[in-house]
Amino acid sequence: MASFTLKSFTGLRQSSPDQTSFVSNVPSSLSLPQRRTSLRVTASRASPNLANRKLRVAVIGGGPAGGAAAETLAQGGIETILIERKMDNCKPCGGAIPLCMVGEFNLPLDIIDRRVTKMKMISPSNIAVDIGRTLKEHEYIGMVRREVLDQYLRERAEKSGATVINGLFLKIDLPENWDTPYVLHYTEYDGKTGATGQKKTMEVDAVIGADGANSRVAKSIGAGDYDYAIAFQERIRIPDDKMTYYEDLAEMYVGDDVSPDFYGWVFPKCDHVAVGTGTVTHKGDIKKFQLATRNRAKDKILGGKIIRVEAHPIPEHPRPRRLSKRVALVGDAAGYVTKCSGEGIYFAAKSGRMCAEAIVEGSQNGKKMIDESDLRKYLEKWDKTYLPTYRVLDVLQKVFYRSNPAREAFVEMCGDEYVQKMTFDSYLYKRVAPGSPLEDLKLAVNTIGSVFRANALRREIEKLNV
Amino acid sequence: MSISMALFSPPISSPHQNSNLIPKISLSLLSTKRLSLVSLTRASSDNGTSTPASATVSATTVEAPKPVAVEEVPVKSPSENGAVGGEETDLTTTTTEIKFQDAKWVNGTWDLKQFEKEGKTDWDSVIVAEAKRRKWLEDNPETTSNDEPVLFDTSIIPWWAWMKRYHLPEAELLNGRAAMVGFFMAYFVDSLTGVGLVDQMGNFFCKTLLFVAVAGVLFIRKNEDLDKLKGLIEETTLYDKQWQAAWKEPESSSSSTVSSKK
Repeated sequence: MASFTLKSFTGLRQSSPDQTSFVSNVPSSLSLPQRRTSLRVTASRASPNLANRKLRVAVIGGGPAGGAAAETLAQGGIETILIERKMDNCKPCGGAIPLCMVGEFNLPLDIIDRRVTKMKMISPSNIAVDIGRTLKEHEYIGMVRREVLDQYLRERAEKSGATVINGLFLKIDLPENWDTPYVLHYTEYDGKTGATGQKKTMEVDAVIGADGANSRVAKSIGAGDYDYAIAFQERIRIPDDKMTYYEDLAEMYVGDDVSPDFYGWVFPKCDHVAVGTGTVTHKGDIKKFQLATRNRAKDKILGGKIIRVEAHPIPEHPRPRRLSKRVALVGDAAGYVTKCSGEGIYFAAKSGRMCAEAIVEGSQNGKKMIDESDLRKYLEKWDKTYLPTYRVLDVLQKVFYRSNPAREAFVEMCGDEYVQKMTFDSYLYKRVAPGSPLEDLKLAVNTIGSVFRANALRREIEKLNV
Repeated sequence: MSISMALFSPPISSPHQNSNLIPKISLSLLSTKRLSLVSLTRASSDNGTSTPASATVSATTVEAPKPVAVEEVPVKSPSENGAVGGEETDLTTTTTEIKFQDAKWVNGTWDLKQFEKEGKTDWDSVIVAEAKRRKWLEDNPETTSNDEPVLFDTSIIPWWAWMKRYHLPEAELLNGRAAMVGFFMAYFVDSLTGVGLVDQMGNFFCKTLLFVAVAGVLFIRKNEDLDKLKGLIEETTLYDKQWQAAWKEPESSSSSTVSSKK
């Protein structure tokens, strides 16, 4: 599957970056090409060395994507500036990270508040299925507090040599030539809360937009819009005896009452639970869905106190243009949230890192100027590595979230051990592992059976309505 | 009592979309006796189908028969991005909900022994009972509970019961349609071209027509199916298109990828 996707991308590329002979003509004498269907991309191996300075890159946004990108850039010898508007931002978030993120990003284990090893999927008719029997001893889903994780990654970036600025990004002045710098306009807060801050400008060679779902960088480069879901969440502190049930268990509720195209959840956090739901198509009814979610979990959160109410948009698919010249988008700003599960933290951090790696490589550790082709390498690598995952989750969402019978079938399927093993393998380690063909066949038969039964019951229900 | 009935009948006869209001309204119910009345009115308004549920509801009560301390949950409107902090609001501390009750629903699953007819389990009635339960829950979503988990799994009903009830009647219908279409198409082609049935089968064009007829009967069963199929094809490719958008040259000629390098 991966090689298939690679073929479709190289078909669009005209030249391979390694063997170009345009050498001295790169900046000046490229005439405007006639209308071609392929992208004209030229190599930057021929870019001139930067005279007596390192490449300067600004990372806008200090979440997981920004922090990871800034760290990798700084470690690669590039002059990095990270701009974050709110250093203690408590981003409304499910807060679940897969196991591979702990290893890949060397996260200290005390960042993780809870290790979730059991999940319960609850169907519209309250059939509950326990998931997690197949997890091994050392496997878990980590629940983190975003303010803790983000702060840790920013600090690590700072220790590697990045400059962290508390400021609000305003806009970019796009350069006229291919090698003139970008001018960033931002308001620097200088650590003072409540003060209006100082307007400042900065010249940088490249920009990584990691400023989240409402990205201003994306607007500045005309990246286009995406469909987004609204995720609404209430943090509820429940009595201790009820909290023990959620010690290492997260719940997912599906049903038309809870959300027409997503799921409602109860995720345990450090000392409270987060009860929430989301939707793309019926954003106006989100409060109704939230009430329904609370109702479905009512017995288990009885006597709880709501301590915080929060909401945030979640992108549903990538923006049409994820980069433009020397500005690239990563994380939520690019729209790298999976369907079906709505997972974004790992992909944000990984894309930040991948983009930074592409910049480090293209500039040869900060010595050369980069251009768009280096950033396109990051897009290529990203799509090659993760597009299968995104596709599979999209198919799952399309098939299983469309109606109540489909959701019932989904919950039934989740009870199957093979499904659980495959799901957790692909979630925890981010690889679409090939299972055994016989089991896959059995799974296909079982899926068809479940869907058939659920739809048959739906027809029965309709007969009762008549 | 009559006042309470008058109070409660409007919400119950409201269309199903408003079913989410019912839990909220029931939060302000004041006694369980009214609940049994309420469920009876619901049961009797079920059009004609006698529900086994109605017989047992009046006899049993829901979980917590203590008097309710009514605390409505004031839902604060949240800001778009970010949080409204600080406010502590209590969730109601007692439950007085209408719950699904049925004599044959025991311990979170259907008691198959109660469905026996002439010594064998009557699977059809199990299917109907489960459908009723799901319909009830769609209209009155219930809280899940750890003490009474729902354990029913539809796969305990054997495959042939499903086949007999759903697949076979539909298969008969579709085969009938295909046969009628086939007969008349064969007659029509024969009258137009003089080619008999056996010779028609040898012709490639006729074979294609046959394939189209069978596929049409299979996939287009209602008028709405045509639009649904078109939407489906578009739906399957949409996500891919959204991902590939980064690799396409933008339509507008103000493309920076082309005009930047002067």
